Amino acid sequence: MKTNYLFPYKLKKIALFILLFSFLGATYITVFEYNPDITNIKTGEYITNKGEVKPHYENIANEIVGMSLIVSLLLLAFSKEKEEDEYISKIRLESLVWAVYINYGLLLIAFVLFYDEDFLSVMIYNMFTLLLFFNIRFQYYKFKMRKELSYEK
Amino acid sequence: MKNNIKVQRAIKDITQAELAKLIGVSRQTINAMEKGKYVPSTVLALKLSRLFGKHVNEIFELENE
Repeated sequence: MKTNYLFPYKLKKIALFILLFSFLGATYITVFEYNPDITNIKTGEYITNKGEVKPHYENIANEIVGMSLIVSLLLLAFSKEKEEDEYISKIRLESLVWAVYINYGLLLIAFVLFYDEDFLSVMIYNMFTLLLFFNIRFQYYKFKMRKELSYEK
Repeated sequence: MKNNIKVQRAIKDITQAELAKLIGVSRQTINAMEKGKYVPSTVLALKLSRLFGKHVNEIFELENE
């Protein structure tokens, strides 16, 4: 079956590789609140109250990590399988619907439970959770399929 | 929907893997169809029909709801 909206299969391994590093990076930045000095770059200038022009620095570590997380999760989710056929398409679609339900279900709960800054954190995590839930469910089902197969002859 | 792919496969004496290769799907798909967990598309049903030399009706059968 021809599907033209999926990435090539070989990107899957690359995606997994980037995902591993960006996940470690994300954990490091969020848990230890650590930003390396190399990613501190000058993004512009600003004028102080005294009229002095000062450079504005921004640490882009979280931007890099966030972008690579999204790209790797997208590639992992939507690159072709080794054997791409209609059954795997069905499982992919089911996983996508399931992930949307779970993601927005949790978001609805979060609307009630979290306010202000806490809700902002929820929204930041929510940028990644849809893809994350999809990937977990999709990989789990593929694993289950393979396991079922090993009993058959 | 019921099917007798397993029987047809036995008649032809081919494994799930061989059948999968012949019609261009994964082994998982054949397995899921034999277990009745997956209803194939018309294209796939016709491919099976052609391979087994049987009418689609002889392989697939509607069940009473």
